[in-house]
Amino acid sequence: MNDEANPLLEGLQLRRRPESCAVVIFGASGDLTKRKLFPALYALAYRKLLPEKFAIVGVARSPQTSAKFAAAMKKAVKEHARDPFRQDVWDALSRGMRYVGTDFADAEGEDRVGQVLEEIDAEYGTAGNRLYYLAVPPQAFAITVSEIGKRRHKEGWVRLIVEKPFGRDLTSALKLNELLHTWFREDEIFRIDHYLGKETVQNMLALRFANGIFEPIWNRQFIDHVQITVAESMGIEGRAGFYESAGVIRDIFQNHLLQLLALTAMEPPIDFTADSVRNEKVKVLKSMHTPGPKSVVRGQYGTGFVEGIEVPGYREEDGVAPGSLTETFIAAKLYVDNWRWADTPFYVRAGKRLGRRETTIAIQFQRAPHPPFEAIAGDGLRPNVLLIHVQPDEGVSLAIGAKVPGAGMTIRTVHMDFLYGGAFRTGLPEAYERLILDAMLGDATLFTREDEVEEQWKLVDAILGGWSRDRPNFPNYASGTWGPRSADDLIHRDARSWRRH
Amino acid sequence: MGVVSDIERQLGKLRVLEEADGMPELRTSTMTHIVWCPPEWLAKAKGTLAGLAERHPARTIFLIPESGRKSEVVARAELKGFQLPGMAHEVLSEVIQIRLRGDAVQHPGSIITPLLVSDLPVFCRWRGEPSWGTGELEEILEVTDRLVVDSTEWRRTPAAYGDLSALYERTAVSDIAFSRTLPWRRKLADLWPGIATIEKLRIEGPRADAELIAGWLRSRMKREISLTRRNAEAVEAIWVDGEAVGHGGDPLSSSELLSGELDQFGRDPVYEAAARAALPTPR
Ligand SMILES: NC(=O)c1ccc[n+]([C@@H]2O[C@H](COP(=O)([O-])OP(=O)(O)OC[C@H]3O[C@@H](n4cnc5c(N)ncnc54)[C@H](OP(=O)(O)O)[C@@H]3O)[C@@H](O)[C@H]2O)c1
Repeated sequence: MNDEANPLLEGLQLRRRPESCAVVIFGASGDLTKRKLFPALYALAYRKLLPEKFAIVGVARSPQTSAKFAAAMKKAVKEHARDPFRQDVWDALSRGMRYVGTDFADAEGEDRVGQVLEEIDAEYGTAGNRLYYLAVPPQAFAITVSEIGKRRHKEGWVRLIVEKPFGRDLTSALKLNELLHTWFREDEIFRIDHYLGKETVQNMLALRFANGIFEPIWNRQFIDHVQITVAESMGIEGRAGFYESAGVIRDIFQNHLLQLLALTAMEPPIDFTADSVRNEKVKVLKSMHTPGPKSVVRGQYGTGFVEGIEVPGYREEDGVAPGSLTETFIAAKLYVDNWRWADTPFYVRAGKRLGRRETTIAIQFQRAPHPPFEAIAGDGLRPNVLLIHVQPDEGVSLAIGAKVPGAGMTIRTVHMDFLYGGAFRTGLPEAYERLILDAMLGDATLFTREDEVEEQWKLVDAILGGWSRDRPNFPNYASGTWGPRSADDLIHRDARSWRRH
Repeated sequence: MGVVSDIERQLGKLRVLEEADGMPELRTSTMTHIVWCPPEWLAKAKGTLAGLAERHPARTIFLIPESGRKSEVVARAELKGFQLPGMAHEVLSEVIQIRLRGDAVQHPGSIITPLLVSDLPVFCRWRGEPSWGTGELEEILEVTDRLVVDSTEWRRTPAAYGDLSALYERTAVSDIAFSRTLPWRRKLADLWPGIATIEKLRIEGPRADAELIAGWLRSRMKREISLTRRNAEAVEAIWVDGEAVGHGGDPLSSSELLSGELDQFGRDPVYEAAARAALPTPR
């Protein structure tokens, strides 16, 4: 059929709907599948965004029947989905759902997955198109990739969503990339960083590039500095095994935090295609120089109070070594060495058990050069701050000075708020919904490219190299506070301070 | 006190009351939403608004014309609060109801203009068939960026599409009746290229929907296609040269349809051409 010649298509608001396909989740008995992937697939089904010919195959080692798997996923959807449960939506989603209990290390097991997929193609018309979702722990990663790769189907497309962590240093990331490229092209690989699927993170691009007023002042001349905070009030929630070998630098800094920084600092892309956007982000990462030892601070939480309740220190958490040197906090002063940002510091921090849960990007502008008011009038006046709330309370606010009503001229800082929920009162989609849909459509704009990951690790390796030379004195901050004193020193040295709220 | 300052005073008071619980309120708006609503439509229009509130925070102004009475303007303002999931703030939408009596019916402009939210688009949902050529329509068009009608509510279809087309150059127009046919139009588009030779269209459905689907096909194909119709509440079935077309799918609710219209800003050339081609010949 020749669509271009079809005069009836104009104005039909055809939504991008993915082609028929089967989604194969490796690690289907795990936490991610239950809490994020199925609720996201359900939300897509709820909005009729999935292809008509569609099937899900769950794969993991634990033996269970397809019926039992379906029942567990139905329960997960009821518990975690953002939409009300509707039996008809669930029926449509679970039609053709299968579970294969197999060990990937065992070649025959993998053949069974292939067989099931052939059956599904025949029964549901999924046309050989496959979206593989690798929700397995890192140690199962290599074998799973090779087994899928070896059995690449000849017809249809193959796409592979890869979860974090993507390696644990530059060498392992390079090896992973090499392994992936043995079987797959770069445009078939979707490295997930779920922060990029968040509406507010994408809104950063809208804010910068859809408004004429910000871009002209988005540079060293008008911006004093930038602060990026990824703060959690939670501890490690029983994930000691993972956290002990990762620390906050691998868990948050290497991926989410550097992505937020790259989006804040990047140049306008020529268009919103995957490569244009990612080219610009890579340029930012490449132009960041390694911070000196004085510009990076690490910390580990001790006991303290979070929301009024006493919580144990990191070393007292189950599964953590009593003398653990794993960091749960990082703060750094980073520079992007290019024309736009030379000498403008980006202060970043991330950590667990901090004062409150918040992810924000704060753009602090230079002070007004010469406020013509009496000294006392301006006491309450602070520099303008454009604050992008990534979570919670997604939105943007601008701190501006305003006159306090009444006689005289007293100035106070007030907030102009744009809260997402306030203007567009639809529930915001979960990051995974957008990302799974984009991967089905083959759109990699919101996924991390090979060279991005490599640049991220280069920076992390350089920091880790510095850390390996000395022993930190841990714990060095109480739970429920904003990190170690050294983090304050880091920014106070420049006569600035961290935002508290 | 003038009506406008009375409304503002009422809103001010309500805001203070809302704030008494200590939580700051938010008043983000994305538009001014005017509803021209003769009394017989009021219940329906309010129902639609209730379903819409979750999506389009706006200052909504109901204009209720009550001609034949003593000249008078009576206004009442309300705040509707919405709690947002996961957010401490409550969001407030303002609903202003203005009854225009006697001569005031023809002069809504001077009341609406000071009540428009600055710099945001103005949508007007006109309930029933617009009163073509009257002062009230003229004055509302002056301030409106987009006029939203539903031609299934009209008595003079398809002839009235001619009156509507006179407005295209002045304001963007959408017709909910046309949006309602979208699932059917998608089905028909799927029949390409087989449908290229269509001569006769048969539709079981409301007059406006049927006329618009036929007009759409004529304008897209750039030739005459005949229409026969049997009445039904909604489009139930379509035949192309005697061959039944598969069902178009679930219809959207009136709130969903209006919500879709409120997300559109520019002119819709496909609709304009369809409505023109729906006019009785000679076109
Ligand atoms: N949970 C989250 O919120 C989250 C967030 C971001 C990223 N991730 C990443 O997503 C991946 C999965 O996380 P998760 O939290 O779901 O972990 P999980 O709960 O431990 O689940 C892991 C899954 O992989 C399977 N598996 C484990 N070892 C395997 C092996 N050697 N061979 C084959 N299958 C194996 C497990 O099932 P069987 O034991 O039955 O085989 C299970 O289904 C990890 O890479 C994690 O870093 C998770």
